[in-house]
Amino acid sequence: MMALAEELHEYSGGVNELLARYGVKFGIYKNGEFHEQLFPFDIIPRVISSEEFAYLERGLKQRVFALNEFIRDIYSDGKIISDGVIAEEFIYSGKGYLAQCREISPPKNVYAHISGIDLVQAKNRTCYILEDNLRIPSGASYPMIARELCRKSLPSELLGKYKVADNRNYAELLRRTMDYVNTGGISVILTPGRFNAAYFEHSYLAELTGAHLVTCDDLIVEGENLYFIDYSGKKEKVGAVYRRISDEYLDPVNFERQSLIGIPHIFDIYKKGNVALINAPGNGVADDKGIYYFVPAMIKYYLNEEPILQNAPTYLPYYEQDMKYVLEHFDDLVLKDVAEAGGYGVVFGNKLTRSQKEEFIAMIKAEPRRFIAQEVIDFQDLDIYEGNSRVPRKADLRAFVLMSDEPVVWKSGLTRFSRNPDSFIVNSSQGGGFKDTWVMTEEK
Amino acid sequence: MQLNFAEPVREHHFKLRCFPSSDERQKISNEHIKIFPVHFSNVEKDSFGNLCIYGTANQRHNLFAVNVDGEAEINSDGKIPAAPNKIGLFKYETDLTRAGLSLREFHSNFETMSYMTGYERAIYMMNELYQEYFYTPGVTGIFTSAEEAFSLGRGVCQDYAHILLALCRLERIPCRYVAGMIPGEGATHAWTEIFDAGTWRMIDPTHNKICDDSYIKISSGRDAQDCAINQGVFYGGGSQTQEIKVIVNEILPQS
Repeated sequence: MMALAEELHEYSGGVNELLARYGVKFGIYKNGEFHEQLFPFDIIPRVISSEEFAYLERGLKQRVFALNEFIRDIYSDGKIISDGVIAEEFIYSGKGYLAQCREISPPKNVYAHISGIDLVQAKNRTCYILEDNLRIPSGASYPMIARELCRKSLPSELLGKYKVADNRNYAELLRRTMDYVNTGGISVILTPGRFNAAYFEHSYLAELTGAHLVTCDDLIVEGENLYFIDYSGKKEKVGAVYRRISDEYLDPVNFERQSLIGIPHIFDIYKKGNVALINAPGNGVADDKGIYYFVPAMIKYYLNEEPILQNAPTYLPYYEQDMKYVLEHFDDLVLKDVAEAGGYGVVFGNKLTRSQKEEFIAMIKAEPRRFIAQEVIDFQDLDIYEGNSRVPRKADLRAFVLMSDEPVVWKSGLTRFSRNPDSFIVNSSQGGGFKDTWVMTEEK
Repeated sequence: MQLNFAEPVREHHFKLRCFPSSDERQKISNEHIKIFPVHFSNVEKDSFGNLCIYGTANQRHNLFAVNVDGEAEINSDGKIPAAPNKIGLFKYETDLTRAGLSLREFHSNFETMSYMTGYERAIYMMNELYQEYFYTPGVTGIFTSAEEAFSLGRGVCQDYAHILLALCRLERIPCRYVAGMIPGEGATHAWTEIFDAGTWRMIDPTHNKICDDSYIKISSGRDAQDCAINQGVFYGGGSQTQEIKVIVNEILPQS
């Protein structure tokens, strides 16, 4: 693959220019202000062999299947709690649990329509899952457009040499996911608007799937149904909403009452099965960092199978034994606040001063449920170009799993890397960059 | 209940939760509901099993009125069956029932009596609270938390209920907030339900007593927010006032 990187490098500037022209940006709120910035693209792709992909695919399908089952169980009988597999405290005192969702069955019992599973590869090639994103995972559009623009800028024989699985089918998979749960009517993509971090993605996916891109003002509940009202005032029934706004702002009559956005009563008719919401409200209960610890147990419990993909070794200070381990190995661990996301609230034990460390330990002891601790994984670095020199950087992979009658793993993914050589944090909200992910169709 | 708006409102979307319904303890009959104005409305049960009416009033209005009347028949031992796998969430604090420093300190002075059941313990804590807390309207509001209300030393039925729930939840005793009515004229009342051996049992911390057959339940949930009588959004309106008037008369059984 050395040759590949060199071959691609000369086109790097051209592709980045095109990305800028297409408005491939990422919005960041900093100190209360909105800044839109380019999402730096590195042209050397992450390459996954077909054999490696087949293994990932099996593991991801298994994981998403179990997570979907878990959400269904939690909002109905709660068997996994009464059978003692998960301590109820992690469910009911977590922020992700939405009591309003109790006893609701979404169309076709799909909760996790689109899952973004973050994983890393260690130096020994083992893959570890770092996080499950089941609410509104974003990022699929970036490798899609990067591939499209590479196809435009690179000589066709160059890309043709490599047997790479086409990733343009993401739109088709998403369409199939929306159609599968659609209760009758059109499908729409609901965006909070232009000032959202992922607005580029919302508009791009709408264009490619043929779904209408709408804001809350374009939708109205009348009678028992949801309607889209177009510029001429014409009404069309809506059967599926791929909503890119979070649960609390979805419906001011049922959730956050101070909210100025949202669609009044959309939750009431969703409950009655008259519209599909993608992803289902209440999914936060399954992607909490505390719940992550229990996913391997969940797989065994619901599927009676051994987990194919491993979690990064994780400790819950809530359990006495784990607390002891965390205190003894504090400097080797990374600590995460379960309520935070996007790379915030992450602390490396060995980076703290003595007094900070004491303070942090006091915090863990006061609120053990609030933290998880993980072994620092020695990631496999990926090369990126910095100017003309190739340098290794930490990188992860967000794999996308789309659920229709069965879970399908997209043959691509978002590879994010840290631009800072000393950092393990790759989140785009922390200024990281991205790469395309090539899944090879056959072994050479 | 009625809402008065200083300026007319339109596209008023509402969700009302002010309709007593029949359960194992109370039998509701001859219930008549009038909502005005209304363009569209529908009935549902929320995730706590409370009867709700949601809908829309499109036309401009300065007044939104809801009138409910009916008969309740209660003759029971006060126990309402509860499924053990559905009560877990009632053991944990919510924003309104989170014990802070002052409630934790109050709680730390309680005697530990491990032989007591959760229900007996709740009654003990209700007694302790009754000695320390004073009924005074106008000091607290509907968004006042248990901790704030306790620090103020005075409050109304909602505050008594929230404080008792916060204390019970410190001990992981499953407990619910109840909105309802008692005989007489005035506002709605609030009390609590404590889980005891497969049933919910009602106790009223404001009056420091076990609820008798004169208590009519409207709704229950984790706290007052789950039992909100009215949640709505609309355009326009300026300032608004909400009036709630409850009249409960006793009808003696016919012999």
